[in-house]
Amino acid sequence: MRIPYFPGCTLYSRAKNLDDSTRAALAALDITLAELPQWTCCGVAFPLAQDNYIGMVAAARILANAAKAGDGRLVTVCSFCYNVLKRVNYAIKNNPEAKEKLNNYLEENYQGETGVVHPLEVIRDEVGLKNIASKAGGRLKGLKVACYYGCMLVRPAAEVAFGDPENPVLMEELMAALGADPVDFPWKTKCCGSYQLLNASDLVTDRVRDIVDAALARGAQAIVTSCPLCQFNLDWGQEKLVPQNNGRPKIPVLYFTQLLGAALELPAEKLGFGQHYVDPRPLLSVVGRQMSDVRR
Amino acid sequence: MATDLSLAISKEVAGRIREISGQNPNLCMQCGTCSASCTGIGKMDFLPRQVLRKLQLGDPGVLQCRSIWVCTACLTCTARCPRGIDIARLMEALRAINLRKGNEVLVLEKIPPELIKEVPQMALTSGFRKLSA
Repeated sequence: MRIPYFPGCTLYSRAKNLDDSTRAALAALDITLAELPQWTCCGVAFPLAQDNYIGMVAAARILANAAKAGDGRLVTVCSFCYNVLKRVNYAIKNNPEAKEKLNNYLEENYQGETGVVHPLEVIRDEVGLKNIASKAGGRLKGLKVACYYGCMLVRPAAEVAFGDPENPVLMEELMAALGADPVDFPWKTKCCGSYQLLNASDLVTDRVRDIVDAALARGAQAIVTSCPLCQFNLDWGQEKLVPQNNGRPKIPVLYFTQLLGAALELPAEKLGFGQHYVDPRPLLSVVGRQMSDVRR
Repeated sequence: MATDLSLAISKEVAGRIREISGQNPNLCMQCGTCSASCTGIGKMDFLPRQVLRKLQLGDPGVLQCRSIWVCTACLTCTARCPRGIDIARLMEALRAINLRKGNEVLVLEKIPPELIKEVPQMALTSGFRKLSA
């Protein structure tokens, strides 16, 4: 199966491991992500000012171009891209003024027909979690993970419709299908501080500490996410922001696609484990030894 | 202390806030759910509930408070408001009125160069969209 794919800017550089692992893991499940022939940055932040249509034009153009691919769907994995594409599409569908103004900018007649889907939804709906479980053979058995959704994947619920905005469970269901053990994690939809890293980095320090401490307190060995900015704040933040002097243990912050790829026994070089600040390889080598024990 | 009405926010600005945000701050019943849920509260000068109260009272200081600039637009307040107010949109309106006058808080020169080399592009794009004119 081929589905149109929008990688987004950050996945072309700083989060290359998210792009690589998403493409590789879905390919291993017989889903080819067909990158749109032309695309730009989505705009990242959905404009909350009602009159700011120019802030929606980039996302509208991506959606209109995706509609021409004829599949009806567009896959994107970055939480910010997913959020802004879904919200702009919602505006085009539900707000006649937005539809008219954006189409005037684009010189198109786009009606909101592109369905933006996240790889977690593709895996659930096109592959099925039971199939995943049989393919992955419980290879992540014993790995305790804290699934961290952050903000953009789940809010606002009426527009992104990814599940319960206070208690989404899809990532946990996938991790459980891979054999991992998702810990109860009430911090899963807290904000990491986001772009305030540039303006009020002490705020991000506090949020990173809260989230990491909560994951560690519940016995998690890794935090799992789909957002490159959450990943960076939590990963880089543990090394550079949170004070190091109290013997605080560090916890790797992985993309769900990296763990999916590992469970599908994809080669490690396709999954980008070397691009982290807190090195996940020692943890994964322990899991890997368990995997080979299981096979023996 | 009684509010000095001669210092109240002009009708024009109050109307602009409502127009940009599409929200009615007078629906707020001051329960404090937004403040209790807020990501940025530790660095704010006024809690989100107090920002809403300032809007209700027409306090022009609402446009100068630090809180609007440390909001992360995480939408937790919006998701939880029992009165259905999209508080994040009110915060954005207060930023927008400032930014459209050239009042900004994030300038490239103040970001440490070593951070710029490391951060994901999306942080720069979203940060500048929210916090610079």
